[in-house]
Amino acid sequence: MRLFAVKILRLIVVVLVVTFLSFLLIKLLPGDLVDKIIPFGTDAQKEVLRNDLGLNDNFFVQYWHWLSGFVVGDFGNYYLPNATPVSDSLGTALPISLELMLYAQILSLAFAIPFGIATAYKAGTRFDAISNTVAFGLLALPNFVLAILLAIYVGAKWQILPTQSNIAPFPLNPLDNWRYMLMPTIALGVGQIAIYMRLLRSDMIATLQEDFITTAKSKGIPTRRVLLSHALRPSSLTLLTVAGLNVGALIGGALVVERIFGLPGLGSKLTEAIFRQQYVAVQTYVAIIAVFYVVLNFLVDILYSVLDPRIRHARATA
Amino acid sequence: MPEQPHSPAESILIDEETVGLEPDSSAIQIGAIEGGPEVARERRRKGLGFGAWIAIIWLTLIVGSAVLAPVLPIPDPVADSAPAADYKSGPSVDHPFGVDTTGLDVFSRVIWGARNSLFIGTVSVVLGFLVGGACGIIGGYFKGRIGGLVGVPMDIALAFPPLVLALAVVTFLGRSVSNVTIALAIVSAPILYRIARASTLSWSEREFVLACRAQGGKHFRIMTREILPNVLPAMFSIALLGIAVVIVAEGGLAIIGAGVKPDVVTWGNIIVSGQGELRDASHIALFPSFVIFFTVLALNYLGDVVRAKFDVRESAL
Amino acid sequence: MKLRRKRTSAPADATERFPAAPLDGPLLEVENVKTHFQTDRGLVRAVDGVSFSLERGKTIGIVGESGSGKTVLSRSVMGLLPKRGLVREGSIRFEGVELIDASNDELRQLWGTQMAMVFQDPMTSLNPVMKIGTQITESLLHHLDITKDYANETGISLLASVGIPEPERRMSSYPHEMSGGMRQRVMIAIAIACGPKLLFADEPTTALDVTVQAQILDLLQAQQRERFMAMVLVTHDLGVVAGRADDIAVMYAGQIVEKAPTRTLFAEMRHPYTEALVRSIPKLNDPSHTRLVTIGGRPPNLIAPPVGCRFSPRCPYVQDKCRTEEPPLISASDPGHEYRCWFPVGTPEGTAALERNRAAADAALLEADAATRAEAAIAGGSTGAGAGTDPTGGSTPGGVS
Repeated sequence: MRLFAVKILRLIVVVLVVTFLSFLLIKLLPGDLVDKIIPFGTDAQKEVLRNDLGLNDNFFVQYWHWLSGFVVGDFGNYYLPNATPVSDSLGTALPISLELMLYAQILSLAFAIPFGIATAYKAGTRFDAISNTVAFGLLALPNFVLAILLAIYVGAKWQILPTQSNIAPFPLNPLDNWRYMLMPTIALGVGQIAIYMRLLRSDMIATLQEDFITTAKSKGIPTRRVLLSHALRPSSLTLLTVAGLNVGALIGGALVVERIFGLPGLGSKLTEAIFRQQYVAVQTYVAIIAVFYVVLNFLVDILYSVLDPRIRHARATA
Repeated sequence: MPEQPHSPAESILIDEETVGLEPDSSAIQIGAIEGGPEVARERRRKGLGFGAWIAIIWLTLIVGSAVLAPVLPIPDPVADSAPAADYKSGPSVDHPFGVDTTGLDVFSRVIWGARNSLFIGTVSVVLGFLVGGACGIIGGYFKGRIGGLVGVPMDIALAFPPLVLALAVVTFLGRSVSNVTIALAIVSAPILYRIARASTLSWSEREFVLACRAQGGKHFRIMTREILPNVLPAMFSIALLGIAVVIVAEGGLAIIGAGVKPDVVTWGNIIVSGQGELRDASHIALFPSFVIFFTVLALNYLGDVVRAKFDVRESAL
Repeated sequence: MKLRRKRTSAPADATERFPAAPLDGPLLEVENVKTHFQTDRGLVRAVDGVSFSLERGKTIGIVGESGSGKTVLSRSVMGLLPKRGLVREGSIRFEGVELIDASNDELRQLWGTQMAMVFQDPMTSLNPVMKIGTQITESLLHHLDITKDYANETGISLLASVGIPEPERRMSSYPHEMSGGMRQRVMIAIAIACGPKLLFADEPTTALDVTVQAQILDLLQAQQRERFMAMVLVTHDLGVVAGRADDIAVMYAGQIVEKAPTRTLFAEMRHPYTEALVRSIPKLNDPSHTRLVTIGGRPPNLIAPPVGCRFSPRCPYVQDKCRTEEPPLISASDPGHEYRCWFPVGTPEGTAALERNRAAADAALLEADAATRAEAAIAGGSTGAGAGTDPTGGSTPGGVS
C-alpha cells in the first residue's frame, strides 16, 4: 500500500512536470505572442488575448493561472480572432481519437495474440518462418504509407469505403461510424500487430521451455489449455507493458492517420490549430495528450503488478 | 529473416557442457510442446547473407543519388519541367515517377527529397547518439546520484509521446530543417540513452572493468576505453533502426503540418503535396511512400543483422 | 495447427484404446528403448537400449549420475519429450498396450489418469501465476466427469492427504507463498489427483533441503502403498532408493549396467560402477571428516560413447578387453540380477584385474617419481614418462583413499 502511495506521488510529480513543460512551450515563440496569434486582430481583440494569457503577470502567476484553469477544464481559447473555447472542439475531437486508438489496439492484439501463440508453438516450422517474414515487412510499413495505399485503392479507386470523413458519433449510428473508422483502424493497427506478435512469440517460446509447462502437459490436459491457461499469462507481461508504452506511438500515429482520412479527431484539430497559428490551442492539445499518456503508463504499471502475483509478492515483502 | 537467436530446442544438448552431461530437466527443456529446433545454423552463417546485400545496395543507391543530385541529369525539383498539359500525368519515359500538380518531376523531387530526409534522419540520430550515448554511459557507470541526475531529462522526454514532443518543439521553434532535426534528436536521444545505459550497466560489472578500476584507472579512461567499445555495437544497431524511425517521423510531422516548411523538398512534403490528389494523381504520394517503405525495410534489416552479429539481446532494450 | 477445440470425453476414448486391461502381467514393460536427439553436433544417444519391467504396486529405482540418461529415460517412457529431433525406438508396453508409436492425443488419455510424474524442482515445476487449487483441480475437471465444487473438495482432501496444513486456505495460495517442501507436496498431490497406476518420480528430492527429503520420500511411499501405484523412482543417490525400491537399475551412459532386486544389489553387486556408487554413500559410522570416495573422470560424451565398455575410461578394473569389446548383459546366479561387465566385482577375474591395475599404477607412480627426480637433476628433461598406462591421467582409480 505504501508503494502505491509512492506511485501516486510520482504520478503527480510527473504530471506537474509535463504540464509545466507544455506551458513553457508557448514561451519558446520568438516575438510578441499576441501578434503571432492574431496578427490582423483589432486592438480590442488583442487586449482580450493579452488579458486571457495574463501576459502582464509574473511568469509563475501565469503558470498557476493556466494550470488551475487546465485542471477544471478551462483549456483556453481559439482566437479567430474572436475567442472561442478550445473545450468546445475538444468534446467532439477527443472521442474520435480515443475510439480510433482503442480499435487499433483491439485489432492489433486480436491478430497478434493468436499468431504469437501459434508461431511460438510451431517455432521453426514453415508457418513460423512465413509469419515472421510478413511481420518483418509490416514492421517497416509506416502507418501513413498504409493509410495512403488504403485511401487510394479501397477509397478512391474501388470506392469500397469512404475517405472524406463525415463521421457520426458511435452512439448515433454505430454502423456508419464503423464504416469511417475501418480504414484508419487498419492503417494504425497493422504495424502494431508485428510488434506485439514478435514480442509475444519470443516470450512464449521462453515460457514453453519452463518446467511448469511440462507439468501441465503431464496432466494430460489439452494442448490448447496448456497454451492458453498456463503459458499465455506468464508470457503476456512484457506484451502488456509494451502495449501500454506503445500508446505513445499510437497517439502519434492516430494524429497522422486522422489527417489522411480527414477524421475530425485531435490530429485534425491539431493540424488546423498549427496551420492557423493558434498556439494556445496547440499548447492545450499537447498538454492533454501528455497527461493522458502519463496517466495511462501509470495504470499499466498498476495492472502489471496485479497480473503477476510474483511481482505483487516481491513488492509486498520489499 | 535474422532475429530470434533463441529457439526452444536449440538449447537441447547443444551446449558443449551439456553434451555428455545430464540432459536433465534443466537442460533438456521440454520446450514448445511439439515445437522444435529452429534452423539456427542459417543465421550463424559467415558473411552477411542475400537480404543484407540487397539492403546495402538499396541504401547505397538512395544515398548515392541524394549526394549526387546536383550533378545528376534530372529536372529541377522546384521549377516546372513539364508542359501544362502533362500536369498530374502518371509515370512515363520522361518522368518515371510522373508529374505533380504544379508540373514538377516527382522522380527528381524524390531524389532531392532524399537529400533532406536523409540529412534530417542521419543528423538527428547522430545527435541523439552522442547525447543519449554519453548520458547512458555516464548514467550506467555511476549508478548513484550522478546517474540519476543524467537520467532526469531523458525520463522527462520519455513522458511525452514521441511524435507529439517533436510536433510541439517544431511548432513553437519554427519549421526549419534544423529545428526539425533538433526536435527529432530530442526524440531519438532517450531511446539511445536507454540502450547505452542498460548495456553499460552489464559491462561495468565485468571482470576486466573491475580490474581496471582496482588498478586505479581514471573513470573517463574506463568509460571511453573499456566500456564504450563494448556498448557501441548495440547502440549502432539501434541507431540504424533509429534513422528509419526518424525518416518515418519526418513524414508524419509533414502530414500533421508540423514538419519542414512545404517549400523544402522532403519525402514527407512530397507525400503531403500528393495527399489531395489520391483519386486523380495517386502516383505523387505513392512513389515517395514506397521509397520510404523500402528504405525503412533496408535499415531495419541491417539493424537486425548487426544485432544478430553482435548478439545483442532484445531484452536489453 | 493442432489446437483441438473439441473436448473429447477422455474416459470413453481411453477405454476404446485400452480395452479391459489384463490384471495379470507386468504393468510396464520397457524393451530395448533407445532415445536419441538429433542436434547440430550429431546424434546424442541419451538412452541406448534399456529394458526393464515393473509389476503393479512395485517400485523400481533408476540410479545414475548426471548424464546417465535416467531423466530422459523416464520422460521417454512417459512420452513427454518434444517430438522434433527425437529418435525413439524399442517397445514400451503399458498394460500390454504399445506406447512407442502413440500420438500425443492418445498419450493425453493416459497422462494424469494412468501415469503421472513428479518433477525434480518444485520451484519451477508449478505455474507461478496460477493458484494451487486451479493447478490441482484442472486435471480432475478434465479427466473426470465431476462438478467444480466436487473437484474443489477433492483438491482439498488431496492437499490434506499429502500433509499440507490448512488445505482450504492453501487452495487459493500461489506457489511462491509456499516452501520448497510444501510445493513438492503439492506437486505430488497434482500427480496423484486422478489416481494413476504408475508414478514417475524424477529426482523428487534433489532440489529440497536435506531435512525434508526423507519426509517427501516417505510421503511418496505412503501414497504409493495406499493407492497401489507402481513407481519409477529416478535418483542419483543410491541411498534414496536403498530402503524404498523393490528393484534397482543402475544406469551409465544411457545403458543399464546392473539391475537386481534391491537386497541382491547391495549384497552382491557385480558392476564396478555400482560399487563406486555404493562407496560414495556417506556412512553414519564413519568418523566425521572422512573424505567421501568419488568417481574420477567425467561421464562420457553421449554423441561418441567410448568403444567397448562405456565405463572403461573410469574403471579401476579396466583391462584391454574392456576397451575393445562391449560387454553384454550377463545374468547372475540370482534371479533377476543382470550386469554388464567382463571382470565383475567379487569374482576371481575381477579381483585379479584390480590387483593388476594397482600394481601397474604403483609402478607408474614410481616411474613418474623417478622421472621428476631425473628432471630435477638434468634440467629440461623429458616429462613424458609419467603418462603411464592410464589414459584418464588424473583420475587414476584407487588414488583416493
